[in-house]
Amino acid sequence: MDIRDIRTRLLELLTAIAPDIDAAHVDPQRALHEQFDFDSMDALHFATAVSEAFGIDIPQRDYASLASLESAAQFVLSHLPGGA
Amino acid sequence: MRIEFRLPSLGADMESATLTQWLKKPGEHIRRGEPIASVETTKGLIDIESYDDGEIADLVAAPGTPLPVGAVMAHLEVDDRAGAGAGSEAPAPSAPAPSARAPAPTAARRAAGPAAARLRLSPAARRRAQQLGIPDETLEHAAAAGEVMHIEDIERLAHAQPAAPGDARSAMRQAIGAAMARAKREIPHYYLGHTLDFAAAQAWLTQYNEPRPVGERLIDSVLIAKAVALAALRIEGFNGYWRDGRFEPSAAVHVGAAIAVRGGGLVAPALIDAHSKDLPTLMREFSDLVSRVRAGHMRSGEFTAATITVTSLGADGVDVLYPIINPPQVAIIGTGAVRDAPWALEGRVVIRPTLTLALAADHRVSDGRTGARFLRAIAERLAHPQQL
Repeated sequence: MDIRDIRTRLLELLTAIAPDIDAAHVDPQRALHEQFDFDSMDALHFATAVSEAFGIDIPQRDYASLASLESAAQFVLSHLPGGA
Repeated sequence: MRIEFRLPSLGADMESATLTQWLKKPGEHIRRGEPIASVETTKGLIDIESYDDGEIADLVAAPGTPLPVGAVMAHLEVDDRAGAGAGSEAPAPSAPAPSARAPAPTAARRAAGPAAARLRLSPAARRRAQQLGIPDETLEHAAAAGEVMHIEDIERLAHAQPAAPGDARSAMRQAIGAAMARAKREIPHYYLGHTLDFAAAQAWLTQYNEPRPVGERLIDSVLIAKAVALAALRIEGFNGYWRDGRFEPSAAVHVGAAIAVRGGGLVAPALIDAHSKDLPTLMREFSDLVSRVRAGHMRSGEFTAATITVTSLGADGVDVLYPIINPPQVAIIGTGAVRDAPWALEGRVVIRPTLTLALAADHRVSDGRTGARFLRAIAERLAHPQQL
């Protein structure tokens, strides 16, 4: 799985947990909290979805790595089983 | 016995809704608490639930029709004994949502006697309301306590239509404005603040979450909701409704959780029986509420059940949130961000995570001193998170 696949999958996960977001208008570099008023429950839902979809553990201290779609993609890439 | 099923009020900020879909057909059985129809409101799509057990006799309203609160939507044939559900204090066994204590459920209103007795209308306004076929319940709902309604108020009500989808945001803004204006006009608020040391709660949370997969972890809002529920159970005067000129305390604590709606506005559906549920259960239910708010699909009982509300702006970095009471409730707790701050401890200054709670409460029901005890009771529970 390369970074592009990861980005596509992350966008799918994002719109699944927050159907009120328009996928066409997501800026991958901007923090989700800033962009979409993500609250702590949204952030946890996103972390749960990412953890389950990619089969990776996300410790509490790493939640900040999921702040934006791009930072989440980098985090997933470096934590995928088997390495990147 | 044939009874009317009317569009219930789903909060002080709702005047009307559009029927989108019937979920039951004539001749079908329906149980108390079961969804009967889907309606579009300023809060999004909501499934409204039946207050009675019975059979659908006929469906009066057609999908796509805008309806004022209190409009007859359907007729139900109910067993005469079961029909007593209208005034019954016993909560439905499987569906806690449309509890008999919920604010303004049609059934409770029906049992409460003629609305006209409490309603004050000018003669012209009464005539106009009759011409337009506006039911008393709609008028009663729209009327400010103790004020006489005039013909202009009736015209305004008659024109209150649910907004087109494109206007949903401004409609929600208007609805919130109306409800909050009513709260500020009618409720003599008093405010108290209390900053507490959040270290114990935070440490407990970290220890709890560390070994668990993301999907089973807790967030601090759930601890706060539970602490508020337990404190509200012990200190009287904050949990219940102000209705018909008096306070009706509630035996159960249904904590309304204010959830921001993206693009503006907010809703505050209830965590039913929060006082008696463990943290993982509350977390699951809170998570489910947020998901359904995001997907725009909620149940009517969740909007009418809350007996006290908790609202947080912690994620936005504010220190204190001074909340406004959501009528007919009598208290609301606002929380700011958990923030590291200098803290005096045993004669030394140390850095601790702190949280500021703000209470807005109704002076018709409680005084500042009781409010202070309530805030301290919440803080005490947050200091011993393992007991939550």
